[in-house]
Formats: sequence, structure tokens, C-alpha cells
Amino acid sequence: MNRYRRLSLLIISTAAILLLAACSQSSEANKGTQNQPTQQATTKVAQGKKKLTIGIVNAPVTLNQINTQDNSASLAPIGLLNDALLDVTESAEFIPKLAESIKTKDKLNYTIKLRPDAKWNDGTPFTTADVAFTLKLALHADVETSFKLNFIEGLNDFGKLGKGVKEIAGLHVIDKHTFEIKAKTPIDPLVFNERFGAKVYYLPEHLLKDVDPAKLSTHPYFQKPDVTNGPYRFAAYEQGQYVELTKNEKYYLGAPKIDSIFFKVLPAANLVAQLQTGEVHMNSLPVGLVPITDYDKVKSFDNVNVTSASASEPAELFFNVEKLPNKKVRQAIAYALNRPLIVEQLLKGQAEIIDGGIPSSHPYFNKDITPYPYDPEKAKQLLQEAGFDSSRKLAFLIPIGNKVREQAADILVQNLEAVGLQIDVQQYDFPTLIDKVEKGEHDITIFTRDYYIEPSLYFTTYKSDDPESVIRYNNPVVDELIAQGEQEIDEAKRHEIYNRLQEVLHEDVPTLAVYSEKRLQVVSKDVLAGKPLNVGTFNNVNEWDLAVK
Amino acid sequence: MGSYIVRRLFIAVPVFFGITVLSFLIMNLAPGNPVDMLINPNIPKELLELKREKLGLNDPLYVQYANWLGGILRGDLGYSFSSYAPVSELIGKRIGPTLLLAAASLLIGLLIAIPVGVISAVKRNSKLDYFLTGMTFLGISIPPFFLGLGLIYITGIQLKWLPTGGISTLGGDGGTGDVLLHMILPVTVLGAAIAGKKVRYVRASMLEVLDQDFLRTARAKGLRELVVTNKHALRNALIPVIAVVGAEIPLLLGGSIVIEQVFQWPGIGQLTMEAILSRDYPVLMGLNLIAACVVLLINLFTDVLYAAADPRITYG
Repeated sequence: MNRYRRLSLLIISTAAILLLAACSQSSEANKGTQNQPTQQATTKVAQGKKKLTIGIVNAPVTLNQINTQDNSASLAPIGLLNDALLDVTESAEFIPKLAESIKTKDKLNYTIKLRPDAKWNDGTPFTTADVAFTLKLALHADVETSFKLNFIEGLNDFGKLGKGVKEIAGLHVIDKHTFEIKAKTPIDPLVFNERFGAKVYYLPEHLLKDVDPAKLSTHPYFQKPDVTNGPYRFAAYEQGQYVELTKNEKYYLGAPKIDSIFFKVLPAANLVAQLQTGEVHMNSLPVGLVPITDYDKVKSFDNVNVTSASASEPAELFFNVEKLPNKKVRQAIAYALNRPLIVEQLLKGQAEIIDGGIPSSHPYFNKDITPYPYDPEKAKQLLQEAGFDSSRKLAFLIPIGNKVREQAADILVQNLEAVGLQIDVQQYDFPTLIDKVEKGEHDITIFTRDYYIEPSLYFTTYKSDDPESVIRYNNPVVDELIAQGEQEIDEAKRHEIYNRLQEVLHEDVPTLAVYSEKRLQVVSKDVLAGKPLNVGTFNNVNEWDLAVK
Repeated sequence: MGSYIVRRLFIAVPVFFGITVLSFLIMNLAPGNPVDMLINPNIPKELLELKREKLGLNDPLYVQYANWLGGILRGDLGYSFSSYAPVSELIGKRIGPTLLLAAASLLIGLLIAIPVGVISAVKRNSKLDYFLTGMTFLGISIPPFFLGLGLIYITGIQLKWLPTGGISTLGGDGGTGDVLLHMILPVTVLGAAIAGKKVRYVRASMLEVLDQDFLRTARAKGLRELVVTNKHALRNALIPVIAVVGAEIPLLLGGSIVIEQVFQWPGIGQLTMEAILSRDYPVLMGLNLIAACVVLLINLFTDVLYAAADPRITYG
């Protein structure tokens, strides 16, 4: 009997210990967040406050404004916390933010005037001292940054200062609100505006001036960036769950109308559900995509407005040109694909067919190129002309994660098999896929590139001097045109060069776009002003408003 | 007993290092590395190389391992490759929700499994037994993620009774009631899965005990049937169940990955998933370390419990 009592005691105590451990742990976790004054402030008067929830599917990985790692999910909250000199609108126009003006006479020297009233959210004025501090620190040899400023004089080819160099030769501070940037060679203002004006965010010198550059990335400031200069300020960040931002009362363009904004991380299926229940007010692009397969469903919700953005950067096939050297084979594949079917059936007509990687809304898109039509007979004929060995299996590597792209790839495989090609489909998560592609294990792969305002960035992948390139392409004509395009600063001539380049690439087919999705912008009818933009940013957020229920 | 535990702990040390070496090797054998995630024609190769160098990815494996181990011995789990947050902080934030979910589900699971298993065994081959066994079978065969999605659809979206995910309402007060409300669905799904598996053990173990002589003796002494089953049979039948429940705990900590994904529960499972997809080695190693500790401790604990419960086992 005694032994049994001991046993039951043991069982009960085990369960109790487990529960106690769990409870104490979670109450500690709760305490952690509640101790923050901002959090408490939002909780106390939670009712009358305007709270906007934006749904995203991928979790932001960082809030570091000088090293965003080009992570689209991180760019959304970072863009609300920080202002750049300029903002980009949906139609790729630049509007002034921290900068009053950016002027150049020779496309070599750029003079930037800051708004005199710009300030950090702790009230400290934002001046050229912050600009100089940020640039020197971010471009320091030991600091990781996502800035791409290699055109500035004094920086090396990949846009960093050399070891031991502390000053940037191309940066001249004139007074508290004026500074100059000197480029190595003349540079298109469009490029300058994108890479310097819109993509560079700043660090508060008064807070970080004593930090050791080598230890910058792990500094606590980047876990809780509470001093920033954007319309919203940091409130809470739970990795994988949400980012909470509260309005910056001291915002120099006027205090925002919405009190707090939540970026809520959730799977795509839940995103649709929560847009319906009203838990999420809008989606974010391109990381909060409402699956286009849910188009009809979302259209039927009566509490949201659904619009389609202009056609975005396409899902693109990348051929391993070393393994498929004959351009007739690649052209045959282009003819074999039933892209109209994918657009009509899978994407409910919410997409466009183009051949190149530049989206049709881009100023440098070549409108004169007609996409390869769906013509399986022509494809068979070309394959025969090329003498393609039909017993050879083509490795088609497909990344998992984007359902629509996976389904489209399924159709593509059927199309290719219909013209007599043998396809070995391999699906991988993205890091695995990239590893295999870099080793050249693929014949064909599919993924989507980012959106670049600066056109030359679309072509770097076609250069022949990159041994690890996805496509392993070598074409002297293309190399020459790319080099010309990078150096040309006359806009009309640049258009000519890039039009010609797109023609050559269209003929040669080292890559082939499959479809450009028109992403769905779903916004609750409670939102009076504001919507997500295709390029992954938000404009004039301080003017956004929400109906009070 | 004390010396037994100490000896077991000493054996655990080399096992523990063996686990870390193996997991480090396996992790590095997987294709792709954290820098691959950044592939983008926009980023110059030199910068990626610089990053690789800074993260120590160019060092030979044994150097990387030694660096990591050195950090552990100093009590430093390192920094995440992607967010640069301290690994200990990342895991610390997530372990609470996972423990809460695991403990509640285990408790609910056992509260269902033990009575159902006992009833099923006592009334063996009756209609009730068939019904209960059938339900159990259903519980095992419905994949938890499917059940989860179904419940979300019905109770969350159609009826709007329960929140569809997360641990508390965004911007709400995060109070106990709110958390409990958010726990209902995931605990139901996990608890059902645990109950499903455990009912069979309890039933089998109980059946075995029910046939034994000492129960016949007990009955012959004139004890009431309820006392026979609940006091004598059940206590003996639960001994093997302890071991099974013990084995369930580490599974619960790591294996709730799917459930945490479905319900956006901010626990270890979700963190693991993110870390794997971004090849965030320091976070993965930190998680492995915790998992290894939990498995070793739970095993030790189960063995001690087992020995305490079963007189036939002596501390060797």
C-alpha cells in the first residue's frame, strides 16, 4: 500500500512540476512584454484607440535599418519606423521625405538639402551629422550592410571602405542641413534616387556614437530600435508572431492618425480567413500575398475592397545554358509552354504574359517584344531540328513555398512532356535549391526575382564572368550591351541599349518569364485611407485613417 | 538512490556531447547555408563572401564546432545568423508557450486516456469497448493538422467562438483568460492525439493485470469490484504507462511543430521551423542542446520513477 501511495504521489508531483514550470515560464514571458511602458499605454486605453493590423505571411527577420538583408518581410516594418530621403510611389516616382531637394548639374555631384524640421522621435533634430555618422559606420569594413553604394567616390567595388579607412572621399558635409555626394563616374539620377535616396536609412548618432563597429550588429538597439525618424515608433517585436508599432507624436510631417499598427505573421490560408473575420485589415505586398486561387472567395467578402496591383515581377524559368547550349532547344521550351492556360485557369486572369524578367510596368520594359505563343507543333519541330536526344532527362528544380508557382510548375512539366521531353521534377526548400543550382545540378529551375527600379540590376545575372551564375550564360554581345548600359547616363540612349539587350535575350532565351501576377490588394472597408503598394512599401502612412467603431 | 542519480548524470555528459557532435554534423551536411538565403543578383558575391567569413562559415567544421562549444562552456549560446538576437533570448521567449501547451495537453490527454483505457479493459469486448476503441482509432488516424484546420474553420471562422491562432489577442491585455481561450483549440488537438495513443497502452496494460492471480485473490477476499480495479489493478497497470508517458514529453516539445504552425503558437516548434528554413545554425544548435537536455533528464526521471514504482527494479 505504502508503495502505491508513493507512486501516485510521484505521478501527481510530476504533472504539477511540469505545469508549474510552464506557468511560471509563461507568466515571466508575459511580464517581459508588459513591463514596456508603450505596451502598457496601449493596453490601458485600448478601446478608443485606432489599431490597424496588416497581415504578412513571412516573418520579418530583422529590424536593422542599415542591414535589412533585403528581406522583404523586414522591409515593411523598417519602412514605417524609418524615413529615407525619398519615398517611392507605386508608379515608381520619387517624393521627398527627409530631403527637401536632391539636385545635380553634372550627374556627378549631388547636393542634398535636408528638411530643417526633420527630427528623431526623441525630439533630437535629424541633421547631416547623422547622415555622415550612418554612412561612415555602415560602410566601415567590419560592418554588414545592405546599402549598395559602390558608385560613391572612395568606396571599393562592392561599396565598402577599405580596412582602416575612416573617411568617405565622396561625402562632403556643407552645413547642418546640406551635404554633397560625389560619384566615381556620372550616374543616372534615377539610380542615385533609388540606391541613395530611397534605400538608405539612418542611425541616431546621439545614441550610437560610441559603439564598436565590429560589435554593431549584435547591439541591443537593433533588437529594440526605439529611436527612429519615421511616422511610427517601435513598441514590441515577437519574432514569428507580430511587430507592434505606435505612432510617433513628434513626426515632422504631422502625427499619424492611426494609433498603432500591427504586422501580424500568419499562414496564407489564415490570412484569407482573418481578412474575412476582420482580425486583419489589409495584406502586405509582396510578403502577404492573398493566394490568387482565392480570388473569387475574397471578392465575395462584403467587408473588404479588392483591387489588383499592376503586373509584378514574374516567376521566371532559368535555364542552365551549359547543359542546354542550343538556343533552339530553349526556344522549343518557350513554344511548348501553355502560359495562357496558367493565366486564365490558375490565376483567374489576374496575370500577364511577358518573356523577359522586367515587369511591364517598369520604365525600361521593351514593349515591342511579342511573347512566344503556345505552339507545341513548332516546339516539336525545333527540338527535331536541334537533334535533341529525347531520352535525356531534364532536371527541373522547383522551390517549395509558393503554392501558385508550384501548381504552375506542374502544368509546365505536363506541357514539356507533351512535346516529348522527359522531365525529372525535384522539389526543394529554397536554401537547398540554391545550393544545387549554384553547383549547376539543374537543367531548368524557376523562381522570382526582386523588383529593381534601376534597370541594370536585371541584367547582372546574364554576365559571363560569374562562375556560380544560375544560368552559366556566355554571350559577348550581351556582355558588351550590359557594360554600355551600366555606363550610359543619357536616358534616351540607355533606353535604346536596354531595348536591344532585351531583344537579344528574347531571341536567346537564357531565362523565360512564365507569368506576372497582378497581386491582390485586399483592404478592409474600415480603412478610410491607405493601402499596400506593390513594391513592398507604404506611402504617407501618417495620413492613413481608420473608421472608429 | 542518490549515487544512482549521480552516476546516471555522469553517463549523461558524454552522451550529451555525442548528441551535439552528431547534430552539428548532420546540420552541416544539409545542402545550403545561411548565406544562400540571400542569393540575389543585386548583392555582389564579394559581400556574400564577406558575410560567410564573418559568420565563420569558411572555417573547417571542427573549428566551427569548437567555437560553438567554447561559447556554451562560457554560458553563451551565440547570436542568430538572421536576426542577430541572442539565441538564449530567442529560446527563452519560446520555451514558456511550448511548456504550457505540452503540459496542458499531456494533462488533458491523460485525464481522458486513463479512465477510457480502464473502462475499455474492464468491459472488454462489450459494445462500449468497441465504441471506445473505435473512437481511439479515429483519434489516432486523423492527422492533428487536419483536425486543427477543421476546428479552426468551424469554431473560428464559421461560428466565431474561438480565436484562430496565436497565444493572445494582439494589442489586448494578454491576461490569463485570453491565453486560456487561445489554448482551447491547440490543447484539444494535441490532447486528443495523446489520448488516442495512450488509451491503447492503458487498455493493454490493464488487460494484462486483470488476468493476474493477485486480483483473483483480492476478489476472493470479498473486495468490491471497484476497489479491485481502481486500487489494485490500475496502480499496477500504470507502471509501464509511466515509461511511455515519459517518452512522450520530449516528443511533445519537438513534435508539436505542426500544431504550432497551424495555430501560430509562438513556441519552440515554430522557432525550429524558421531556423531550419533559414539554416540558422546557432539557433538550431541551441534548440538541439535544449532538446538533448530535456530527453536526458526526462529519461533519468522516468527511470527513477519507474524504479520507485516497481519493487522488482533495483538501483543498479
